[in-house]
Amino acid sequence: MLIDGLLIGGLIIVVGIGFSLCFGVMHIVDFAVGEWVMLGAYTGFILVRYFGHDPMIYLPLVFLIFCALGWAIYPLIYRAVSGKRHNPVLMGLVFTFGLSILAKGGALSVWGYHIQSITTWLSGKSLALGPLTIPALRFSGFLFGILITLLLMLFLYKTRLGITIRATAQDREMANLLGTDVRKVGALVYSLYAGVTGMSGILIGALFSIHAAMGVKYCTLAFFVVVLAGMGYVPGVIIAGLILGLLQSFVGVYIGGRYNLVALFMVMYGVLLITPKGILRRGI
Amino acid sequence: MPLKNGHTQPHTSASSWRWALLGLALLIAFLLPWPLSPLWIRIATEVIMWAGLAQSWNIIGGYTGYLSFGHGAFFGVGAYMTGIVMLHLGWPFALGILISGIAAALMAVIIGYPTLRLRGAYFAIATWAFGEMIRQIATILEITGGAFGMQLPAYLNLPFFYYLFLLVTGLTYLTTYLLLERSPFGYKLLAIREHEEAAEMVGVDTVIIKIKAFALSAFFPGVLGGIYAYWVTYIHPDSVLGAQLTDFMVVMAFLGGIGSLWGPFLGAVVVQLVNRVLWLVWGEGTFYLVIIGAAICAVVLFIPSGIIGLLQSRIFLPGTAWKEIRKKVKW
Repeated sequence: MLIDGLLIGGLIIVVGIGFSLCFGVMHIVDFAVGEWVMLGAYTGFILVRYFGHDPMIYLPLVFLIFCALGWAIYPLIYRAVSGKRHNPVLMGLVFTFGLSILAKGGALSVWGYHIQSITTWLSGKSLALGPLTIPALRFSGFLFGILITLLLMLFLYKTRLGITIRATAQDREMANLLGTDVRKVGALVYSLYAGVTGMSGILIGALFSIHAAMGVKYCTLAFFVVVLAGMGYVPGVIIAGLILGLLQSFVGVYIGGRYNLVALFMVMYGVLLITPKGILRRGI
Repeated sequence: MPLKNGHTQPHTSASSWRWALLGLALLIAFLLPWPLSPLWIRIATEVIMWAGLAQSWNIIGGYTGYLSFGHGAFFGVGAYMTGIVMLHLGWPFALGILISGIAAALMAVIIGYPTLRLRGAYFAIATWAFGEMIRQIATILEITGGAFGMQLPAYLNLPFFYYLFLLVTGLTYLTTYLLLERSPFGYKLLAIREHEEAAEMVGVDTVIIKIKAFALSAFFPGVLGGIYAYWVTYIHPDSVLGAQLTDFMVVMAFLGGIGSLWGPFLGAVVVQLVNRVLWLVWGEGTFYLVIIGAAICAVVLFIPSGIIGLLQSRIFLPGTAWKEIRKKVKW
C-alpha cells in the first residue's frame, strides 16, 4: 500500500511541477490544469484508436501537440493578465476558469459521459521485487514521473534558458530590465507546462479511466500539491506529490475512497492555517 | 488608479431620473406574474434568483477582489439545511431559510478565517476545493439522502415563490447599496481591492473586514438556496451543489460588470434568459458549457468592465456611440 501511494505520487508530481512553474514565472493560477490532463488522455485515446500501436510511443508526439497548443493559447492569457486591468492575477484566474469550462463542455459535447480507458502492453502485468509485486503500469508511470522531473530540473538548473526562467520567477521586473524578454519566457514556460501535463494525461488515462469530467479530480490534486509545496516552489512539489500519493492510498484503504476529497481538504486547510507558505516554508 | 464608483455623485436631475427608473422597474416586477404563463413565471423567478446569487458573489468577488470559486456550496448548504430543518425537525419554512442563511454565513467564517489572510489565489483555490468537498459530503451523509437527494413537502404556489425571491433578492441589492456603496465599510472593501497593503497601513483591519464581507456574501445564497429547495421540492447533490452554480454566478457577475451595483443584475437577466431560450429550443445538453466558457474568456479579454461599463460610458449620446464602444472594448 505504501509503495502504491508512492507510485501514484510520481505522476502527480509531473502535473504539479508544471503548475507550480507556471505560477512561479507568470503568477498565473491555471484552473485548466485538469482539462489539459483530460485532453491529453483523449488525444492518446484517439491516436491509439485510429493508428493502433502502443500508447507509450505517442508520448513525445502528444508532448509536441500540447506544446504547440500552449504556445497558441499563451498570447490570449498574456493579454488577460496584462494591460490596464484592475487586478491582473484575478483576471488570469477567471480567464483560465473560462478555458476549463470551455474544454470540459466541449469534451462532454463531443464524447459524452462515456468512460473510456487506454490499454498498453504493460496493463495487467506486474513486476516481482523480492517479496513485493508491483503493477508494471504503475511502476512505469512512476518512472516516467521521476524521469520528467529530473529532466525538468536539469533544464531549470543547468541550462542558460533554465536560469533565465528562474531569474524571471525570482524578480520579473529586474529580469526584464536586464534584457530578458519576459513575454517569450512566459510563452516558453506555458507551452512546456501544457506539453508535460498533456503527456502525463496519457499515462493517467492508462492507469485510471478517461472521461470528459475527469479534469476536476486532477485539478484538485495539482492544487493540493502546490499548496503543500508552497506556491511557486518547484522542488517542494516532489515531496508534496509523494505525501499526496501516500495520503490517498492511506485514506482509500483505512477510511474509504469516498472520503478522499474530504481528507485532502482537511489537510490543505490545516496547511493553510499553520504554514501558509507550504510545508517547507519556501513558497511565495 | 481611479476608484470605480459611479454612485456617489450629488443628487442631480440624473440621480432622480435614476430613482424614477428604479421605481418603474419595481412596479413592473410586482405586476409581472399577472400576464405571464406558468412557464414564464418560472423563468422570471429563476432570473430573479440568479440576480440575487450573482450580486452576493459580487460582494466578495467584485467589491473585495477575492474570487470565490466555491460559492455554489453556500447555496447547496442552504438548500439542504432548509430540507433537514423541515423534514427531520418539522420546523416551519421561515425558520428554515433563516437557519440556512446563518449556517452558510458561519461556514464562510470558518473557511475564510485561514484562507482570507493569504493572497487571492489561495482563496480561489481553497473555496473551489471547499465546494467540491461539500458536494462529496452531501453524497455520503445519510441525513442528506446521499446521491438520491431529498424530497421536501410540496407547496405549489408559483406567485408566492416569485414574490419571496423578489423580496430576498431586493434585500440583497438594498444591503449592497447601503453597506457597500454608502458606508465606510464599502470604502474599506474598495481600499482592500485596490491596494491591500496600503489599506492595512492606514489602519483598516483587513482580516476582519474581509471575513465580514465573505460572511455577508454567503448569507444570501444560503437563504436563496433554502427557498429554492422548497420551490423545486426535490434536491440532490448535482442540482444544488453542482459546479455549474458557481460557473453561472461568475459569468453573470463578469458579463454584467463586477464591482458595480447593477452589473450582476444585468448579467443575470441576459445569461439566464439566453440559457432558457437555448434550453427551450435545443432541450437538455452540455453545449451550454461551451458557450459559458467562451463568454467568460471573451469578457475578460475584450470588455473587462462588463455591460455596465459599456452603459456608463456615453454611448447613448448621438454621434458618440461607436467611439465610446471602441474605447471600452479593448482589441
